[in-house]
Amino acid sequence: MALSIADLPKEELFGQGNAGCGGCGAAVAGRQAMKALGSRTIMTIPASCMATMGGSNLKTTWQIPFYHTLFEIAPAVSSGIRAALEVQGIEDVNVVSWAGDAGTADIGFQALTGAAERNEHMLHVCYDNEMYMNTGGQTGSQTPMYAVTSNMSKGKTIKKKNMLAIMEAHGIDYVASASIAYPLDLIAKFKKAAEKPGFSYIHILAPCHRGWQIPQEKTIEFARLAVESGLFELYEVEDGLRTRNVEPSFIPVEDYLTPQGRFKNLTPEAIQSIQAGVNRHYGRGE
Amino acid sequence: MVKNLPVVPTAKAGSLVETPTGITWRVQYPVISEKCNMCLDCTLFCPDGALIQQEGKIELILSLCKGCGICANECKENAIQMVPEYSGVQGVFR
Repeated sequence: MALSIADLPKEELFGQGNAGCGGCGAAVAGRQAMKALGSRTIMTIPASCMATMGGSNLKTTWQIPFYHTLFEIAPAVSSGIRAALEVQGIEDVNVVSWAGDAGTADIGFQALTGAAERNEHMLHVCYDNEMYMNTGGQTGSQTPMYAVTSNMSKGKTIKKKNMLAIMEAHGIDYVASASIAYPLDLIAKFKKAAEKPGFSYIHILAPCHRGWQIPQEKTIEFARLAVESGLFELYEVEDGLRTRNVEPSFIPVEDYLTPQGRFKNLTPEAIQSIQAGVNRHYGRGE
Repeated sequence: MVKNLPVVPTAKAGSLVETPTGITWRVQYPVISEKCNMCLDCTLFCPDGALIQQEGKIELILSLCKGCGICANECKENAIQMVPEYSGVQGVFR
């Protein structure tokens, strides 16, 4: 089943007139995802850029029900919404919680792991810009090593937590990584996740040009370079079977890292160690 | 059972389209040339939904565009050029 852009729905359920920065990666992720999910969707979003972008108080850019939750509880609220829908006998609605990397991996993690353990019928999406961008770009557990953030001026000293492996270990129905530079791959994964009877998790790499210190027109380009260099692997785990969806062309990681302002402190030895890590990861087989 | 989903009580759905945020920041806007081969990539890469497919060609909704330049950077045919909003005298006026 090959998707083509011409077959996608024309309606804009999210994005038109949003309050994000120009060239926002999260807005691109939201628009692409809503092409797959459709209008029968209920969205819960904790504190994040995505929540503020959707509008506040009297104006909204969403065309679907959207609930702005507290920071820690987006998957828990989604579980409750699903339970209420089940009681009413409504079955055709996708329940989605959409959090940033902080709302998924750090602050929102206990609600997420609880919902995943109960195998609730819902989809959790993490749009990962590798920093706490809504509060000014602080370090989080999804920030990669050596990246300069507003509270770590010499660069992070510890590695990025592998959130996909953690979610895979829950034994849930569907785990996938996606990138905004590969929209058809992303949309196909959302369609697959929406059909699952249990918990699904999708991790989207959505660069933030403010935090990564790149020109705003290169947001998509860097999302692509991350995949092509092998640093962000696009794969899915379905029923325990792991499939790589995009084979990277293995450009040197240097081409991805050095143009970014946040890696200005990167030493040649550090680049070598990152390259060695990528080679080791892909050398171990599927 | 089909039941309409509840609507947010305080905001009309999609009401930001009429008063979009951020267009006052725009310093450049895209111009689509005839080289466009309708690959439709830009309609999925635009963060603001400003580029839409209409009557067999790509149309720009200028009131939604923030002028980020992603479309011009990603176009494989180089069919999109960014044009400055203001090309007159710049600098300090005395």
